[in-house]
Amino acid sequence: MQFKAPVESYSGQVREITIGKGAKALKIGGETTLPFHFFDEGSIPNPPRFALEVWDMEPVTWAKWLLEPFKDVVSDPVKWAMKCAKDFAVDAVCLQLASTDPADKDTPPEKAAALTKRVAEAINVPLIVYGTGDEKKDVQVLSKVAEVCDGENLLLGPAIKENYEEIAKAALQHGHALIAQTPLDINLMKELNIKLGKSFPPDRIVIDPLSSALGYGMEYSFTLMERAKQTGVIFKDGMTQMPIIANLGGECWKTREAKESKEQGILWEGVTALSLLLAGANILVLRHPETLKLLREIIRRG
Amino acid sequence: MFIIGESIHIISKVVSQAVKERNPKPIQELAIAQTKAGADYIDLNLGPARKNPEETVQWLVKTVEEVTNLPLSIDTLNPVAMEAGLSICKKRPLLNSASGRTDSKERMLPLAKKYNTDLVLSVLTDRGCPPDVESRIESIMETVAYANELGIPNEDIWIDPILLPVSADQKQVGEALEFMKILPDILPGIKSTIGLSNISNGTPEELRGILNRTYMVMLGRYGQHSVIADALDKELISLNKGEMPEITSLIYRVMDGEEVDLSSLSQKERDYLKTTKVLKGETLYSHSWLEV
Repeated sequence: MQFKAPVESYSGQVREITIGKGAKALKIGGETTLPFHFFDEGSIPNPPRFALEVWDMEPVTWAKWLLEPFKDVVSDPVKWAMKCAKDFAVDAVCLQLASTDPADKDTPPEKAAALTKRVAEAINVPLIVYGTGDEKKDVQVLSKVAEVCDGENLLLGPAIKENYEEIAKAALQHGHALIAQTPLDINLMKELNIKLGKSFPPDRIVIDPLSSALGYGMEYSFTLMERAKQTGVIFKDGMTQMPIIANLGGECWKTREAKESKEQGILWEGVTALSLLLAGANILVLRHPETLKLLREIIRRG
Repeated sequence: MFIIGESIHIISKVVSQAVKERNPKPIQELAIAQTKAGADYIDLNLGPARKNPEETVQWLVKTVEEVTNLPLSIDTLNPVAMEAGLSICKKRPLLNSASGRTDSKERMLPLAKKYNTDLVLSVLTDRGCPPDVESRIESIMETVAYANELGIPNEDIWIDPILLPVSADQKQVGEALEFMKILPDILPGIKSTIGLSNISNGTPEELRGILNRTYMVMLGRYGQHSVIADALDKELISLNKGEMPEITSLIYRVMDGEEVDLSSLSQKERDYLKTTKVLKGETLYSHSWLEV
């Protein structure tokens, strides 16, 4: 008797979100089936998207093989972002405003916003912008970035439980999408989306559940993303139907393992990224362009 | 089902202060209030009882027995305190609790036989809390067999499945309920209890009550013998007495997967419906579950 594999169909949908404007516009999410379930009913209108992480200051903690691809541009964020867009076939650039950390350089919001605008205008792909996670500073920085980059349709974050109201207001006012971030807890994730949804359109939210590296909690991120997808696609829970961002580059490259050798670093980032892709990440932020190339190849062959 | 009043527990500032100062008044007020409210047992939760365990528990027992005739549940992990408490109770007490952990089997469990008490047995083992129904069954069968061998019959044993908060692990809520449903089949004659308020641990304070009450009704459907709960929650007592049949039957209907038209329900009924769906695992939990 021939084995006939069952074909499932689902009634939920991950929302499709567009970032960037005009020719740069990039669609994320929109699937009506589970991640990579090409054998089931439903559609996957957008492939996984990849971004490379660019800092607004020259990093001092990055391993030399990580800096190698950008060594001639790391001190100039605009050139660095342009190189990513031009040479490394990214879908988006992710600008990490590391210098705004009050415990470090404490760059003022105006300066960070001006730089962000220059980067956004210089590249032909959409821009993701991350604050440092400092509850108070991020409000000032991200609000200013939103204002100065009005109309660019950035993907801005992180908006967290403690500060989402003001950041959401600025994002809404200036036409940007929002990253809602919660610390590896699916219930808190849903809670933040509900709270945000009261004043900010759910179809302009991207979920960042926090991505942990292989060996450092990856399975928590995996389970969470998987559950969020299932709850959204199978059980139609509207508060888990947002596309998911896996900002994993930094987490992987700060591990002891990634600092031991280039091969190990690429593997660490690659395995984490592939796992989270299978769990349902719709857009991934990496650091090394070779990892990005490797992943695209794996997806292409699969 | 029997209500074991939980208000006298050492985590409460009022209680711990009163115990520290040996001030009977706050303790007795709580005992009287719970008795008046309709509790069937008074739980005395001493925690680890590291300081003067025997003297502390005996003071507590005597203080409470001065103002109530209800039987007591002695709630501590310290076998020395447990023995001291059980030995002086006027009415047949409840030993709360022993488990499948080696030290508990050796030091706690035998006290139930020695002092002829009822015994709460939890599913815990040396490996911790069993993660699903099957492993709970495996653990409890082993522990109950051990108790039976010591001469403690099933009728004197109240099984505690160890309840985790819905906000911490939503899946476990269903596992515990499923386990309680199966219990009468695998251990005929056995009784049961549960730390009901655990279900709402971590949930905003004002929303805890409805979680506790809903879960109690769900458990009650499967013959739950007792709950350790907030006896001062009037609605909980009322529900337990069967005084709110529309709510009870609504919860059962939702448990059965019946489609209920929200617009035909009152606000209160809608809240119970949504809560049942969360506790069933049908809706993903968030603190705003009543608002969605």
